[in-house]
Amino acid sequence: MIQILTGIQNTSAALDAERTRLDVISQNIANAHTTHDVDGKPYQRRVVVFETALQNAMAGDRSTLPAIQVAKIAVDKRPPLKVPDPGNPEADAQGMVAVPNINIHEEMADLISASRTFEANLAVVKNARSMALATLAIGRH
Amino acid sequence: MSPLTAIPAYSAHLLPQVERLPAQDIAELPSTLPAAQPADSNSFSSLLGKLVSDVNAQQQAAGQNVNALQSGQNVPLHQAVISMEEANVSFQLMVEVRNRLLESYQEIMRMQI
Repeated sequence: MIQILTGIQNTSAALDAERTRLDVISQNIANAHTTHDVDGKPYQRRVVVFETALQNAMAGDRSTLPAIQVAKIAVDKRPPLKVPDPGNPEADAQGMVAVPNINIHEEMADLISASRTFEANLAVVKNARSMALATLAIGRH
Repeated sequence: MSPLTAIPAYSAHLLPQVERLPAQDIAELPSTLPAAQPADSNSFSSLLGKLVSDVNAQQQAAGQNVNALQSGQNVPLHQAVISMEEANVSFQLMVEVRNRLLESYQEIMRMQI
């Protein structure tokens, strides 16, 4: 198969990874007040861990360039916060409720970072395309 | 039906005439293309045919991606768009090759004898 836009495979992998990060951040924001996760405890913040990956050697000639992929979606180890809310059915004997360790400001900063990284990768795609088209225009009059 | 299916027939029609052109002009072109095939399939016509079928395959891959995206399968949006872009650029490469071929053919047809 001809490889026209060679760097784009890596960029596509990066776009994939950033999309996963956006998904996880949206999950964190959506669960900011979930006091009852599947294990019965308050929801714990998730973080995406990226790693480099060598692309499939069969894919093409430039396959040795490392790409990015999501290694795992880990759990933030910070303990849940205790807030006083005696009316909540989840409250303990002292009227304290354990709420997730999620700070909306932190999530918004992460969201902006993920979105800007996504845009940067899109700019790479755009540039690779215009470079290829400009190359095709060599000698055209 | 893909609009590209007619092109192999077109290039097969065009190429015998082009190959009768002075070999010097054309001999340089194949060396710039990735030629990894056995010596027999190294002729310019088979290289061009391979280019055309590659471009066709890319168009079909892009079409499959878009179809999968529209039928609700888990295909990322950017992957569909990027494959369309790749198909677009390789199609333009093919058009450019065809333009150069026709240009040199017409140039030779205009020669005074």
